[in-house]
Amino acid sequence: MSNRKLNLKDKYRLLTRDLEWEYSYRDYEEIFKQESFEGIKITDWSKWEDPFRLTMDSYWKYQAEKEKKLYAIFDAFAQNNGQQNVTDARYVNAIKLFLTGVSPLEYQAYNGFAHVGRQFGGVGARVACQMQSLDELRHVQTQIHAMSHYNKHFDGFQEFPHMHDRVWYLSVPKSFFDDARSAGPFEFMVAIGFSFEYVLTNLLFVPFMSGAAYNGDMATVTFGFSAQSDEARHMTLGLEIIKFMLEQHEDNVPIVQRWINKWLWRGYRVLTLVAMMMDYMLPNKVMSWQESFEVYFEEAATSLFKDLARYGIEMPAYAATAIEEKEHLSHQAWSIFYNYGHAAAFHTWMPTDQEMDWLSEKYPNTFDKYYRPRYEKWREMEEAGERYYNPTLPMLCQTCQIPMGFTDMENPTLTSYRQSEYDGERYNFCSDGCKDIFDHEPEKYVQSWLPVHQIYQGNCGGAEMEDVLGEYYRINLGVDNLDFHGSPDEERWNAWHNLQPAEDKLKEAS
Amino acid sequence: MTYEVTVEPTGDVVEVEEGQTILDASLRQGVWLPFACGHGTCATCKCQLLEGDVDLGNASPFALMDMERDEGKILACCAIPESDLVIEADIDVDEDFLGYPIEDFEATVVAIDDLSPTIKGIRFELDHSMQFQAGQYINLDMPGVEGARAFSIANKPSDDSILELHVRRVPDGAGTGYIHEQLQVGDTLQVSGPYGQFFTRKSAPEDLIFIAGGSGLSSPQSMVLDLLEHGDTRKITLLQGARNLSELYNRELFEQLAEEHDNFTYVPALDAPLPEDNWEGFSGYVHEAAIDHFDGRFEGHKAYLCGPPPMIDAAITALMQGRLFERDIYMERFLTAADGAEGATKSALFKKI
Repeated sequence: MSNRKLNLKDKYRLLTRDLEWEYSYRDYEEIFKQESFEGIKITDWSKWEDPFRLTMDSYWKYQAEKEKKLYAIFDAFAQNNGQQNVTDARYVNAIKLFLTGVSPLEYQAYNGFAHVGRQFGGVGARVACQMQSLDELRHVQTQIHAMSHYNKHFDGFQEFPHMHDRVWYLSVPKSFFDDARSAGPFEFMVAIGFSFEYVLTNLLFVPFMSGAAYNGDMATVTFGFSAQSDEARHMTLGLEIIKFMLEQHEDNVPIVQRWINKWLWRGYRVLTLVAMMMDYMLPNKVMSWQESFEVYFEEAATSLFKDLARYGIEMPAYAATAIEEKEHLSHQAWSIFYNYGHAAAFHTWMPTDQEMDWLSEKYPNTFDKYYRPRYEKWREMEEAGERYYNPTLPMLCQTCQIPMGFTDMENPTLTSYRQSEYDGERYNFCSDGCKDIFDHEPEKYVQSWLPVHQIYQGNCGGAEMEDVLGEYYRINLGVDNLDFHGSPDEERWNAWHNLQPAEDKLKEAS
Repeated sequence: MTYEVTVEPTGDVVEVEEGQTILDASLRQGVWLPFACGHGTCATCKCQLLEGDVDLGNASPFALMDMERDEGKILACCAIPESDLVIEADIDVDEDFLGYPIEDFEATVVAIDDLSPTIKGIRFELDHSMQFQAGQYINLDMPGVEGARAFSIANKPSDDSILELHVRRVPDGAGTGYIHEQLQVGDTLQVSGPYGQFFTRKSAPEDLIFIAGGSGLSSPQSMVLDLLEHGDTRKITLLQGARNLSELYNRELFEQLAEEHDNFTYVPALDAPLPEDNWEGFSGYVHEAAIDHFDGRFEGHKAYLCGPPPMIDAAITALMQGRLFERDIYMERFLTAADGAEGATKSALFKKI
């Protein structure tokens, strides 16, 4: 046994321990200024267990190999005109939403992990955050490259970073990450490392990637697999940080509990976009939002919180609300976007008869009762040449920034509406979760950049709809927005497929 | 058809059913391997295949790249054995693990004692001496009983030519039924061992807590006897749980030891004492006795748990709530066929718990 070669753990320890400096002429507190202000007590960084042990040389080797594979598939997809082989042009709108809403979050994650990686006194945590930071940069790059091919053939992709910073519904994911990055380093790790990367990641990525696979989008499937192969590091880092904080000091337990409550709710609200994508935007459906929520949240969270209970951590109170909402969420979200289809940088539409039947089957308790009649009315209006667009601006939740379209689960036709007063002003919320988050840190959330308020204050390009949507958001009006039916996307798609229908190709070949 | 998978560097052996993944079989048999996604995309469970053949299953080409496949890497969450295997996983070997070789022995019964109404003490003489660490177990083959049964060793390692086992009668259990009803002094059985990763971390400076339930006294008995024999000076506390006074066996042995050794404390607990027991000791479950004795604070200890799964789970919760965590808790769960495989999905939060 004595001549055993070093195992990975020993190799990694030898590699990193030289980074553990003794600070001889500066105070520790001066170097790691942000380590203590959140109230988290760390007594012994040496108890940190490296969640993964990857040396830098093998990191580059592995990542280079992944890139090679990935870009070979992007090339093949482009050369084969892969854009023509997706199930339907409507599908591409899910990808537009991903590029404008999610890919910039990868960039924010890159920034965030680079920042917090500097703030921890323990070398293990610093190196782990640095590696995740590099991964996130790779993810944003590969996602942009994967989708740049669609930009050549479809509308709505061209201004994604600009839009991410300005467009009303993109303020939902953007403000979520801004909130995390403007928190302290430990809260950031609970927000992104634990809640988002460990608890919620499967709920985001699996539906998107399977959605891509079911709809012929090889490029997106492949970047999904490529990114997922890095997730091991991210998930184990998220778990280690939670265990580490809980074990270091019992005073950390209530702080961590509050952060878990807050960030699982914040993350869940962001995933509203995924719910709507799954149930409405995929021409070939994978599974319903409800089914996916049950597998990737309810089951997984139940076993996780059973284990966390040993530390004194409880299932967040708002989880019950999220579970109740699963039969409503996607329908309410799609209704909001259909309403504001003129103000979105992607297309919206009413489901076909066949799709409505699928929704009835998947949501037997809610779809026919609450949502089908509304959709049938909207379809009637559209057929009469009066496609409904809501001409007013919605009230937004001060915390999650989603329009106040969610309803009370005890009475699903009543808008869920909460209010707080702070410093003589009233603030509005979509839920108890969002209200409680505000009430705990009102000084932070009164500063929220709420798109509707900003428009009314004249900060978004002007007083007219065209000024805001066209000039300020850079939506190519009449092209990127409005209903899918009658859009240039639809026209091009039909042209591609009518020019040379499959039967003609076969005739020519024979 | 099942295959045997040996997991290095610990040497644990896992039985994998036809079509079952290595990860699934390992977790169900209490052998922890690193894992996260469970479906072949994240590569947390990457292992090196040293011997044998596997079907790599649905491992994603990004999680398990061609060059890694060529090097014999596998993902335990997808790989399905096609022969007996040896794999090397990224797990740690404890420096206190001595790794005594596993051998076969002929064991002859020299005494059978009724320790309690449900537990018998069996004493064997071995055909040659066995090196083992206090806390480890052996496998016992019995005539007419399919498959070997595992029992923890109750004697101390210095008594290396004998073997003492404590056997609780499991209702409808074939193995324990045989021992309770048919085994006679003079019978000779086949034994192999020692096995297991449950042993005293002697290099750790912390004081020790032993929590034993039912016949789970066996391992702690061996460990305590071994420590005291070697003049260990750390504080050692043994908490023994039983239903009632008649089930509380070997009490006199430990009361005697507590008198002789200042650093040894013995705390018996009965959860259902009978009126005629006139019990003046702790009434309640053994984990409650631990909370009571240590005032709910367990920091700065190493804890060793041995007994039935519900007792182990309750004890872990009590210890963790008293600020003692996974790295300082060691356990041996006494599983019976009735415990079966735990059905619920497991989170990746803990390794051994």
